[in-house]
Amino acid sequence: MKRFITQSWLNFKGQKSVFNLAEFLCFDTGYPLITLIFYCVLAGYSFHTTDLTRWVVGNSFLLCTNTCIFSLGSSFTGERYHGRIRSIIVAPRNKLVIVLEKGLFSGIIAIITVFLGFLVGSGIFRVDFSRIHLFSFFLIIVIGMFSATGFGLLLSTFGLITDQMHLVLNLSSYALMIFCGVNFPVSQLSYGARLLSNCLPLTRSIKAANLLFEVTKGAEVIRLLLEELLIGGIYFIAAFFLIRMVEKVAIKKATFEVF
Amino acid sequence: MNFIKVIYSTLRLQMKNSFARPMYRFCLIANPIVNTILLYHMFLNSNMDNFTTYVMLGAGLMGLWSCICFSSAGDINRERFSGTLSLIYITPTSFSVILLGKVIGNTILSFVSLVISFLTALLFYQAPIHIEEMGYLMLAIFAAMICFITISILIAYLLTLSRKTQLYMNCIEVPIIFICGFLFPVEILPSWVQPISYILAPTWAVKLIRLSVAGFTDSLIYFKTLGILCLITILYVIGILLIYKLIDREVRIRASLELS
Repeated sequence: MKRFITQSWLNFKGQKSVFNLAEFLCFDTGYPLITLIFYCVLAGYSFHTTDLTRWVVGNSFLLCTNTCIFSLGSSFTGERYHGRIRSIIVAPRNKLVIVLEKGLFSGIIAIITVFLGFLVGSGIFRVDFSRIHLFSFFLIIVIGMFSATGFGLLLSTFGLITDQMHLVLNLSSYALMIFCGVNFPVSQLSYGARLLSNCLPLTRSIKAANLLFEVTKGAEVIRLLLEELLIGGIYFIAAFFLIRMVEKVAIKKATFEVF
Repeated sequence: MNFIKVIYSTLRLQMKNSFARPMYRFCLIANPIVNTILLYHMFLNSNMDNFTTYVMLGAGLMGLWSCICFSSAGDINRERFSGTLSLIYITPTSFSVILLGKVIGNTILSFVSLVISFLTALLFYQAPIHIEEMGYLMLAIFAAMICFITISILIAYLLTLSRKTQLYMNCIEVPIIFICGFLFPVEILPSWVQPISYILAPTWAVKLIRLSVAGFTDSLIYFKTLGILCLITILYVIGILLIYKLIDREVRIRASLELS
């Protein structure tokens, strides 16, 4: 366990060591918060509304994008760049553990960022949090971030399959923005797009968080959270199997990339 | 004549180099497409007349700004990283002329994002385009191009002072789109933000483009906006000349291009 946490911390430190504290806060907190405010103001303008609760909720969940998609998603590309990929592939260690190590601190930072987003967003746009059950809300964030972290890890393994990670990561971040019901209702999308929306992380967490502000539908919230947990789990398992597949190809072809 | 030749060859080379980079291709092609889809759905029930044209312009301008952020803004640093900065700096042609050529190349290519945004709305949503003042729009786009070229050079010089260009490039994208009113009038922003918006040239460039699309009864409003845009752009040019002089002096004293 100690080794797991040490390795997780080293992974996280490796990703962030290029920044000092002010830059880390600016990039991982300040910039996402400005993005949240921007989309809430835009929603207020385009939907002609002053009640921005659902946009504050949705965009706060999306604050994890920087950590879960971009930082975590580029972790294997980073390993290759720094020459560590060889050690990872040939190490006798279980690859699932390696995957989980990469996700631990990113997930924690994502939870903190999302919570901060809620606080700032609710302060600026006057969202009344007093009428919701805060523990349930926290639970939704944790489960949502678990799912988003799994998604980020799956994306990170694509770094071993393609050299077009900029495209993969940026498109994924836009996919979350468009298909998860953050800035407009999912019902506006076509049938095919709604199917895709159901396969993405955060869709259900955002819906569950929004339900907390409406008349309490406990059973519906629990169902959504269980589904979100399942989707997150599927992403973690898919990331694990993809790495195993790449590992096999690497051994067979004596190369560290599939592309 | 030599000046034009240098500018022309630099901009051609820059266009090729920029297009070869995956991040630039994403900003130029994918960004306006996804932004058009997102904004279309956000404005679908806005009850705005001519909302599709508004969406196309907004998405196109967002794509254009992203291209500028991830290309022109980091060009000097990119040359430094490739080890070619000192070679460019000591060529008989002034460094500022080469940089101008690079930025013009990037900016012209970046305007393609406006076209892609228009095509996306047409293909995906059969959205009608309604432009009230086509002639004025052309003039507005030309003025916007000059404005974006100057602001790109200014940012490129400023970012030269740091090694963490990548971080700052990411951090200037959304704030400028936000406070310059790319997607909504700056008048809806808090009153303390508006002065910041008004000293930024893109605010006036966007206002000018939007005026041409929506139409106007008094052409004085259009030319007043154009006049303010020209004035701010001239101030930026003065700023660029001063910064260039400062950087050039430092480079010669330290005999190094590693300013940070």
